[in-house]
Amino acid sequence: MVVTAKTKDGKEVGSIEKNYHPQGSTCRDEKMAYGAQNKSSYIRDTSLQPFETKAESLEFILPVDDKGAPTIRTVDVTVELIYEIQNPDNKFTITKVTREVTLDR
Amino acid sequence: MRILRFMLPLVLVASASFAVAADAPKKATSIDELAKMFDSTGCKECHPEIYAQWEKSHHARPFMGVAGGMMLTPVVTASAFKVDKPEQATLKTFPCFKCHLPQALRWAEDSVAQELAAALMANPQDKAKVAKLQITCLVCHSERAIVHRLKDGNPEPGVIYGSKEGAHDSTTHPKLKKSVILKQAIFCGQCHGTGPNFEFEYPIQCAVLYGSYQNSYLPGGGQKSCQECHMAKTKEGVPDHLIAPNFDDKEATAALLAKSIHLTVDTLGYQWLRKANTYTPKIVVNTKITHDAGHRIPDG
Repeated sequence: MVVTAKTKDGKEVGSIEKNYHPQGSTCRDEKMAYGAQNKSSYIRDTSLQPFETKAESLEFILPVDDKGAPTIRTVDVTVELIYEIQNPDNKFTITKVTREVTLDR
Repeated sequence: MRILRFMLPLVLVASASFAVAADAPKKATSIDELAKMFDSTGCKECHPEIYAQWEKSHHARPFMGVAGGMMLTPVVTASAFKVDKPEQATLKTFPCFKCHLPQALRWAEDSVAQELAAALMANPQDKAKVAKLQITCLVCHSERAIVHRLKDGNPEPGVIYGSKEGAHDSTTHPKLKKSVILKQAIFCGQCHGTGPNFEFEYPIQCAVLYGSYQNSYLPGGGQKSCQECHMAKTKEGVPDHLIAPNFDDKEATAALLAKSIHLTVDTLGYQWLRKANTYTPKIVVNTKITHDAGHRIPDG
């Protein structure tokens, strides 16, 4: 999942990535491994589980001027759920949500 | 006379041994032989929709990976199971056969492994040869149709195991018998994994969908079988033998995932106060993801 906040003119304020997948290892060292021939067991599992809600609360800190006032008050936030197959270059979007978020009331 | 009487029993025993050997099914010594033993092109005539669905599935290309990738290459060239020369390959140096080519376990000689190793180690690789090795109709509907072999015996030659008993319009497989496991998750669990395969000299772990199904989905209250979700009847009225997803079809896979994965997003813009007169302006994004699958996502 990639969550991005951008100003109205497209300047990126911040980007946060969360990865959801089981992580295997040879169990002979501390490194994650790919390939069934290398993995002997999982050592961590952040994948989406049945009947469980994967909840995140992510924050983007907005820049302030020398008086402490925010210089950006409105951003466009995009939350994109992406599926990668075998490597980060072979991917596609599952779903994408965009919201305008502002400090103004 | 005495010599003849002494020799006769030996001759009879030898003949009996030859008779047994001649009747015993012969294992395949080449990729072509193994492919021919399990060739299911004959099923296409009467089951064209199912065959067309299967042709697009990963079962039709268990060694081709995604986008035609030769997934066995690192196994034979770089893993703990690697060989220096194709002639050194055996069925044991391809632990992947357990699930990716289960018919080889009972019906292939080591020479099949050697021929496969040669195809993988060639430059260029012989993809056409590797592609001949498939999980065909006869693998699921015969070779893997029985798990309770102590009670039900091995699959019988000439029999197709399905959901019915009776005659089958086929010269090679004229009989139908019911497989008690065909519509149950355990059928898929034979190959779709529960955890590390400790029976090998170097434990390997591939997909563990069935483990996730048993240990997460069922305890959570889930009650559907793999087949209910992945082999629902298509508009042609047959169980879908594509058994989605087909990862080479990104559009269809994305649609399947979008249907089963649910994302909610809530946002807030405010200024956080840590201490007097020191505000930190923040954009908060709260996300929640749930899904309807009977196992972890991703897995395989």
